Amino acid sequence: MNSLKYQLRSIRRDKMCILTFLLPVVAGIAINLLFGVSFQSISETSFGVIQSEATDDTVAWLQQNGIVTEYETLDALRSAVNDPSTQMIGVIQVDDTIQTFISGDELEVNRVIADTLPQIYENQREPLPVEQTLIHMKTGNEGLKSLLIAITLVTAMFMGCTFNAMNIISEKEDGIKFINQVLPMTTRSYVVQKILLGFVGGTASTIVTASICMRIELVQVLPFLLIILLSAYISALSGLFIGTFSNGLMIGIVYIKIIMILFLAPPIFFYLIVPDNAIVFWLSYILPSSATFYGIMDLFNRQSAKLWPALIALLLHAVLWSIVYKLVQMRSDEV
Amino acid sequence: MWNDFFGLLKKDFRLMLSSKFFLLALGSLVLYSCYINFVYVKLDQEIYPVYLYDPQDTQSVTSEYVTKVESREALEAAIADRYSVGIVLSAGNPELYLLSSGLETTDHYRMLFGEAVLNGTVDGQAEVIGVNNKEVKNRREITAEFLFFELSAVGFLGLASMLFKEKQMGVIRVHGILPICRPMFIFSKLLLLLISDLLFTVLLTNINLGLLYALEVLPAVLLQAGILSLIMALAGFLCAVCLPDFKQFSLFYLVLAVFVTTPVFLAGQTGIVWEWIIYHPMYHLFTAMKSAYFSMPTTSVLYYLFCFGSIILLFILACQTFNREIAREG
Repeated sequence: MNSLKYQLRSIRRDKMCILTFLLPVVAGIAINLLFGVSFQSISETSFGVIQSEATDDTVAWLQQNGIVTEYETLDALRSAVNDPSTQMIGVIQVDDTIQTFISGDELEVNRVIADTLPQIYENQREPLPVEQTLIHMKTGNEGLKSLLIAITLVTAMFMGCTFNAMNIISEKEDGIKFINQVLPMTTRSYVVQKILLGFVGGTASTIVTASICMRIELVQVLPFLLIILLSAYISALSGLFIGTFSNGLMIGIVYIKIIMILFLAPPIFFYLIVPDNAIVFWLSYILPSSATFYGIMDLFNRQSAKLWPALIALLLHAVLWSIVYKLVQMRSDEV
Repeated sequence: MWNDFFGLLKKDFRLMLSSKFFLLALGSLVLYSCYINFVYVKLDQEIYPVYLYDPQDTQSVTSEYVTKVESREALEAAIADRYSVGIVLSAGNPELYLLSSGLETTDHYRMLFGEAVLNGTVDGQAEVIGVNNKEVKNRREITAEFLFFELSAVGFLGLASMLFKEKQMGVIRVHGILPICRPMFIFSKLLLLLISDLLFTVLLTNINLGLLYALEVLPAVLLQAGILSLIMALAGFLCAVCLPDFKQFSLFYLVLAVFVTTPVFLAGQTGIVWEWIIYHPMYHLFTAMKSAYFSMPTTSVLYYLFCFGSIILLFILACQTFNREIAREG
C-alpha cells in the first residue's frame, strides 16, 4: 500500500497523466451539458425539398418520416444532395405525386428509401386495413448520446495504460530502472505496483465519468463494476507492454496513439454496422475494447444478451495477456 | 552555402532515420490502408428487414425484402433488434408488429415501409445525380480524413521530436557559435518533412483510391498536403522551441488533437451544422483537402492567400523564436 502511495505521488507531478485523467471527465460533463437536439438528427432520414414547389401536405408528410430541409432553388438542393457528407434524398413535387433523386453514394437504407418513396407517398391516399402495433421499450438508450457516453467510458478505461506506460518510460529515461535493479525489490512487486497504478487510474477516471453522465439501475451495478475492473486491468497490462517495448517517450506516445485508435474505432463501427450474428462481429471480440463497448451498450439498452459474452471475453483477455506478459518478461530476464 | 545546406539535410535525414520516423510512417500507411480496404469500404446499412409470419400461407408475398418465419416466437426474436419490421397474417387484418427504435420519424417510416412491402408496392428508381458510387465515395472520404489527421499529427510531432532530441544533445547551443545561416536550420527540416509527407500522400492515395482515380486527384491533393504539412511543421517547431520538454509538448499535442481536430472531423463527416465552425482555421484546411479528393479543388483566392500568409508568418515567427532561444542558450 505504501509503495502505491509513492507511485501515485510520482504521477501526480506528471501533467500528462493528470490531463489524461481529467479528459474523459471533461468529455462526460460536455456531453451532459452541451447535448443539443442537433445531434439527434444524424440518425434520422433527411429529405430536401424546394421551398416554392413542395406543397404543405407533402412537407408535413415528409416531416413525419424524417428531417426536411427546404432550399430556395433546384441547384441549391442538388448540391446539398450531392454533398458527400450528407445522406440527403431530394424530393420534387410533380402535381400530386413526388419524384426523388439521390447522389448515388448513399447507404443502402437511404437508397431503397429514395427508390420506394414515391410509391409509398401514393399509398397513403388509400390506406389499407392494417393493424399497427408499435411497442415502446423502456431503455436507457438515447441514441447518439448513449453512444458518445459509451465511447467516453471506454476511452476512460483504456486510458489507464497511459498512466503506467508514461511512468515506466520516464523512469527508464531517468535511469531509475537501473537503480531498481540494485534495490531490494523483486520484479514481481515492481510489476504489481505498475499494474496497480494503471488500474487505479483507469478505474477512478471511469467511475467519476460514469457518475457524471450515466444512470444505471441497482441490479446493473455489479456487472458494470466487473466490466470496469476487467477493462482497467487489461488496459494496465497494455500499459506495461508499451512501457516494455518503447525506449523513448516519442515512441511510447505513438504506441499509445495506435492502441487508442485500434481500441476505439473498430468496436464503434462493428456495433453500428455489422449485424451481431455475423462471424465478423464475433471476430471483433479479439479486441478487448469491443467486449467492453458491447457490454456498456447492453447496459444502456437494459439487455443482457451481450453482457455475459463480453465479460467472458474480457476475462479471457485478462488471463491470456497476463500469461503473454509473463512469458515476455521471462525471455527478457534470460537475455 | 549549398554545401552547408546539404550537410544539414544529411544530418536531419539521419536524425529522422534514427528516431524511426520513416518506420512509423510506413506502419501508419499499412494500418490505414488495411482498415480502409478491409473494413471501411464494406461498411453499409441495409434497409429495414421485413419478417413475415403467415401460418395459413394465405399470401404469396414474394418481395426481395421479405423473410418468412415459421412461428410467432421466431418473428419476435427476429425483430428484437429494434430495426426490423414484423408482419403477422394470422387472423383478421394483417398486423404490423415492431419495436420502437426510439426515433419517432424512423418508426413511422418503418411502418409505411412494412405496409408497402405487404402490398408489393416497392418498385421505383430514384434518379441518380452524382458521379461517385458508395465505394468510391467511401474511399475518397476516408483517405482524405486519414491523410488530414496523419499530416497534422506527423508534421507537428515529427519536427518537434527531432528538435527536442537536438536540444538534448546540445545541438542548438553549438549552432549558436557556428557560422551557419539560421533560417537554413529550420528550412532543411521543413524540406525533409515536406518531402516525406508528400511521398506519404502519394502512396496513401494510390493504394486506397486506385491508380486511375489517384492520378486525377493527386495534383490538387498534393498542393493541399503541402500547405498542411508546412503549417503543421512550423507550428510544431514554434511550440517545440517555446516549451521546455517533450512531455509538456505532448500534453499540448493531446489538447490540439482532441479539441482542434475532433470538431472538424464531426462537422466534415456527419453534416452537422455548426455556425461557429467557419472561424475554426483547421476546418478550412480540412474542407480543402476533402474537396481536392472529390475532384472539386478549392478555388477561393482568399483561402490560398491566408494559407501562404500564415506559412510566411509562422516561418518568420519560428526564425525569431529560434534566434531568441539560441541567444538564451548561448
